[in-house]
Amino acid sequence: MEEMMMESDSVEMSEPGALQGLAEAWESVTAALVSSGCPVSDQSLSDSLLLLCSHGLGRLLGIWLLETLQMRLSSSVVPEFWSCLKQPENELEEKDRAWVLLTAFRTLLDRLEPFLSGLEKLGAWQDEGRGGLCGPGPSGLQERAFTTIRALLLFSPPPILQERVLEFYSRTFSVYMKLEGSDEDVAEAPDSPSGGSCPGCGVPVLRCWCQEALEQLQELSHILLKLQLLEWVSSEAITCILHKLIEQRMEQHCRGEYERSFLLDFQEWLELVLGWLSKVFASEVDGATPVPAAPSGPIQSSIQGTQPASSIMKQWRCHMHQFFCRIYVNMRIEELFSIIRDFPESKAAIEDLKFCLERTNQRQQLLVSLKSAFESRLLHPGVHTADILTVYISAIKALRELDPSMVILQVACQPIRKYLRTRDDTVRQIVAGLTGDAEGCADLASELSRGDPVTLEMQDSDDDGNDPEDWTPDPTDAVHDKMGSNRRSSDIISLLVSIYGSKDIFIDEYRAVLADRLLHQLNYNTAREIRNVELLKLRFGESHMHLCEVMLKDMADSRRINSHIREEESRLSEEEQLPLSLSAIILSSEFWPTLKEEKLELPAVVCQAMEAYTHSYEKLKAMRTLSWKPHLGSVTLDVELEDRVLSHLTVSPIHAAIILHFQEKSSWTLEELSVKLGAPKELVHRKLAMWQQHGVLKEEAGGRYCVLETRSSREKLDRGVMLIDSDEERDSNTTTQSEQREEKLQLFWAYIQAMLTNLDSMTLDRIHSMLRMFVASGPVVTEMDINELEAFLQKKVREHQLIVSTGIYRLPKSN
Amino acid sequence: MASQNMDPAAAAASSTAALKGSESSGNATRGSVTKRLQQELMTLMMSGDKGISAFPESDNLFKWVGTIDGAQGTVYEGLRYRLSLEFPAGYPYHAPRVKFVTPCFHPNVDDQGFICLDILKDKWSALYDVRSILLSIQSLLGEPNNESPLNTTAAELWSNQGGKYTHNLSGSQQNPENGQLLIQSVFGYF
Repeated sequence: MEEMMMESDSVEMSEPGALQGLAEAWESVTAALVSSGCPVSDQSLSDSLLLLCSHGLGRLLGIWLLETLQMRLSSSVVPEFWSCLKQPENELEEKDRAWVLLTAFRTLLDRLEPFLSGLEKLGAWQDEGRGGLCGPGPSGLQERAFTTIRALLLFSPPPILQERVLEFYSRTFSVYMKLEGSDEDVAEAPDSPSGGSCPGCGVPVLRCWCQEALEQLQELSHILLKLQLLEWVSSEAITCILHKLIEQRMEQHCRGEYERSFLLDFQEWLELVLGWLSKVFASEVDGATPVPAAPSGPIQSSIQGTQPASSIMKQWRCHMHQFFCRIYVNMRIEELFSIIRDFPESKAAIEDLKFCLERTNQRQQLLVSLKSAFESRLLHPGVHTADILTVYISAIKALRELDPSMVILQVACQPIRKYLRTRDDTVRQIVAGLTGDAEGCADLASELSRGDPVTLEMQDSDDDGNDPEDWTPDPTDAVHDKMGSNRRSSDIISLLVSIYGSKDIFIDEYRAVLADRLLHQLNYNTAREIRNVELLKLRFGESHMHLCEVMLKDMADSRRINSHIREEESRLSEEEQLPLSLSAIILSSEFWPTLKEEKLELPAVVCQAMEAYTHSYEKLKAMRTLSWKPHLGSVTLDVELEDRVLSHLTVSPIHAAIILHFQEKSSWTLEELSVKLGAPKELVHRKLAMWQQHGVLKEEAGGRYCVLETRSSREKLDRGVMLIDSDEERDSNTTTQSEQREEKLQLFWAYIQAMLTNLDSMTLDRIHSMLRMFVASGPVVTEMDINELEAFLQKKVREHQLIVSTGIYRLPKSN
Repeated sequence: MASQNMDPAAAAASSTAALKGSESSGNATRGSVTKRLQQELMTLMMSGDKGISAFPESDNLFKWVGTIDGAQGTVYEGLRYRLSLEFPAGYPYHAPRVKFVTPCFHPNVDDQGFICLDILKDKWSALYDVRSILLSIQSLLGEPNNESPLNTTAAELWSNQGGKYTHNLSGSQQNPENGQLLIQSVFGYF
């Protein structure tokens, strides 16, 4: 042996007059170390050791042994191992590949066994101090040997090792799951004995090698453990498998399923997986220890050489939970928009997510993803405002479950709030929701009726009486604004109302809606509105709802006055009685929103009735009078024709006025009617359509309308296809936002005219600053920015109502 | 009437009730005067009266410029007069100071532009506002009060009419006293 030669050389060099006995002693000691079978008596071994040590050669023993191991490894063991693994190319079946893997490791162990036991022995001698030997002891030597093995073997492992290991572990996993988790997995698999394949090993049942695979697993684990390669060879494959498995299972079970909690399910399943892991990592604990235990005591070696199995398992359990949480959160983040949309049905999913999110650091990811989901799926022109509001409300509810600090809610919903501000009908939709008119937002009405006395201005945080000990800092992703965490509200109504930052806008809108409702129903029944107003009072405070209260009071007063006047009327004699009965709603104009102005002159009969009513009112309320809005209201009438009667038609005043005119003359032109009614022709034309649809009027050539007295002529008409655009949509009586804007511009124009009349000529800047200074009513006015103003002035210039030269505006002289 | 010229801080609520709509009661600080003037400006803008107009001169809300067109059918038809209005801090409990800036040949207007009008003096009431003042002056042009003239020449001419007044008004270049000025300003604003 060359090693022997080298060593003898060194001995000779250090001690020129070397005894033959020294060489013999070295030989017998090294032989005893490497080959366990050599029968050397304890006594002679001790003598030899003593001899070696006395010549200072004792410390070389360990170095020699490691050196030899290294030489052997690089020259033969490692190449053999790799070639053994690769050797039978890819023609093999899975079962055989597993066998090859195991064999490769077996051979590896066989080759290294002598050295390992040699080291063990040497270590033991060192511990005993046999023959004056000293050194790091068995664990120290072994440590160094294993490092060498790992370094040489796994320095650059070809991918085939990972592939094989992965394959093998996956297989044993499914085998294990088949055997252990029998409940669900077996139930799922078709239970046919022949032809079907074993769910565990994936081959026809007859050739099932499940049991074999498990045995192989145990042996492999054992070899790896012995060589301390387990962690290095298996960890990656195991991690990979676990990831894949959890992901797979989640895809199958959880995706799109929000109504059930999966935490417990997975908890159970993970325990099962842990059972398999314990097979991989802790075969030793199973009690099967086929390889002879190391002489220096298994307890010591297992503590020092490897970590105790239980702590490894603990580590893996942590890993697995972490995997699970991360994967679950990833999936739910992707689906969060749908989950929010489905809230409250998806409450289980939100709770699961909350649990997992607390264990992973993915809030930021969630925020980014949710924000972009909102933007791409919700905030575009194709979505109805009511739907946006519905989702926003669900988001509020869902996110306040998910994150009680409301930070996610606040940050993620910022884009929604910003977008809603740009929609014209947001306020109207919210108010409609509050009053229970809207189909979509029924939640709002119930939210309102919960009647929490939460106002927009939050109470001072001091009032909460919170113990300072209970204080928790904001999450780091909180938006730092002046509001502070105490003010972060989760109250749906407060959040919605604060979209615009002012509750006045909402109250104004509510007044408009209230006015609409009161004016449309035309009976004096206000029970529901009173309830709403009372609830809103809780929210917004008494003073803000004052105007609405007056409106409701008007209704009650009207009812009283009306019945009084009617009573008086009924006491009149026959001939004094008016041909039609009139009921009125009396509004205190100061307190109602601006009503739409429309010109309409009613027929004389109606006017008389109105005058009489006014007269009675004036008698009742001294110093007051009525100013009628002839276009608002409704008329119930019967139309009697030659051969038929249309009874109890309820129409608008203009419809009634039109048909009443036909009573005195059966044929009118559009112009005549328009003059008679004092209404524009287009309007009259549209209103006539309704009577045409009823078959009462028809249009003749030359723009004349006349009455269809008999049915026969009507039927004739039916046969001809007639499309008339009907005008039955429910108009709002109050002005819309765009009309209000138009009005505002009109107001601006009045101011601009006045300032130019009095101050002759001004620049754009001066006009703008003057407007800002002096137009001071309502919150909306100052919103006119200078560009908008310029555009408006340019328009006026084009219309020749304004002259501009070198940036100075003036009114035209002729004005 | 007198009670309306008292500060409501001292007087009873009766006077505040008489004030225009949204005027809130309170002490007559500059703030509430500003509010009142702003409200008046708004009322004036919304009224859309032809022939009268006024607007703050600069950023000072207490100094306005007014414009009055002579009413149709009077000798002043087609003439446009510019006025200045100054509001005291005690407004509306004290009358504003109103005078013609454009020289005006009129029995009740002197050559400095001062106006003799009862509602601007002893008959002033907090119920009046800029609009009513301007309308009063507009109607004063057509119907002078010859009982207390400031411009006696004009008053005499007015009382013995016969077309001479008109002649003097529009052809007053013969008048050496204020002729040149009058012509300029009268025609300057057509």
